[in-house]
Amino acid sequence: MSAQDMKALFKGAKLVDFTGKQAGFVHLKKFDREFVDMLRDCKDGTKAVVVIDHGFGGRYDSPMVVRDHVNLSGNNPLVGPNNPIGERFPIVQGIYFDDCLREANRGVVAGLKDNAKPSDEEQQALREIGVDICAYNMVPSMLVAAHAGWKVLGIVLPENGSLSTSQIDELKALTGKN
Amino acid sequence: MKKLAAKPVQEAVDFLRKFCPEVPSAAVILGSGVNVLENLEEIKSVSYQEVFGVSPGVIGHSGALSIGRCEGKLVAVLRGRFHCYEGHSWDIVTLPAQVIVEWGVPQLYVTNAAGGINQNFNVGDLMLITGYRDHLNTKYQETGLLSQITKPPVSCNNALTDKIVAVAEQLHRQNAAFTPLQAGVYVGLLGPNYKTLAEIELLKYLKCDAVGMSTVPELLTCHGTKTMAAALSVITNVWKPEEAVGGHEEVLTAAKEASLRLDTLFNKCVAG
Repeated sequence: MSAQDMKALFKGAKLVDFTGKQAGFVHLKKFDREFVDMLRDCKDGTKAVVVIDHGFGGRYDSPMVVRDHVNLSGNNPLVGPNNPIGERFPIVQGIYFDDCLREANRGVVAGLKDNAKPSDEEQQALREIGVDICAYNMVPSMLVAAHAGWKVLGIVLPENGSLSTSQIDELKALTGKN
Repeated sequence: MKKLAAKPVQEAVDFLRKFCPEVPSAAVILGSGVNVLENLEEIKSVSYQEVFGVSPGVIGHSGALSIGRCEGKLVAVLRGRFHCYEGHSWDIVTLPAQVIVEWGVPQLYVTNAAGGINQNFNVGDLMLITGYRDHLNTKYQETGLLSQITKPPVSCNNALTDKIVAVAEQLHRQNAAFTPLQAGVYVGLLGPNYKTLAEIELLKYLKCDAVGMSTVPELLTCHGTKTMAAALSVITNVWKPEEAVGGHEEVLTAAKEASLRLDTLFNKCVAG
């Protein structure tokens, strides 16, 4: 998919925020069944979603745009009988859209089991693997989106990080939403 | 999810004792598209549904247990398996191996189709599993997988893997077309999605040589029992940075060619 087409896809993208910080986004407490249903509903033709999640244990203290992930949650929302909306063995590479928010960091997010916190030793291993930040909701969201054929702009906000006014404006321009 | 009414282990064992009063000297569990030991003598088959009370649900897995003779030795061949990614409980995923153990079968050979992480591997290689990593266990749904990234793999060498190595070396000496076995660490991932580039980096860091979504349950089940287990991976694609990941069909094709060598190897191992 060309950069142009990818950008076009995000016009009218769904906006979901697990941090509760961003106005104009649907605020969810955690990844759940309701969100899965939303990602599998493309009646309005939208197949792109902007997902904002809390991040921790990271290298950055400002927003990070996700370019890849490792799933260390021990689970997968696609476990169980396959939903015919997607393949039994979906390919999840190339679903990330990161051609925006130029001045933000880009990196790899590790999806952890809810409430899991890496020990010092595990934190060290995560660094060596190339993980930049950890999150709870981003990875399951990505997997369900990829399976349903969606593209995702994932933004992870560290504890005290938030999007700048210009970044918010850029997201608005991208998605055509206010 | 609806609970499947699987038979308890003992019920399945009782069924098999009636179906075949003699305990086989070996059992073989086959993965996607891996076809071996199809020319057994005095063969008789039964569906997984009849033996276990459940049947697996992936294309390429028929879910049948066959018993027959190879050079006089009685062998049970199990085609198809229950995967964690289907949402099966650990009890069901390990049911065939548990039944093999309880039935008293002394040797279990396990096969799978796996992706190569090791860059020295080629499509169609056979890899003897000398160590494994469990990243698919349903218990990690409660704890997460973090603890696994600082642990070494579990070694699984035993007299049966030694025998496979010896037989393979002999076959290679007799016929150069029988390429030497590879050996390495297999990681069983939960799936069902194919891994991301970052996950491949993780598996390299963990020194994994091949990756799949099975086999670990069988090896764990046999550990510490009187059933000695050995597992072989058919390498159906080798991950290269510049290439896209393969789909299920590609897996089935590559598995077919390597199955021929695996068939020779198993015939010799089981008969000897």
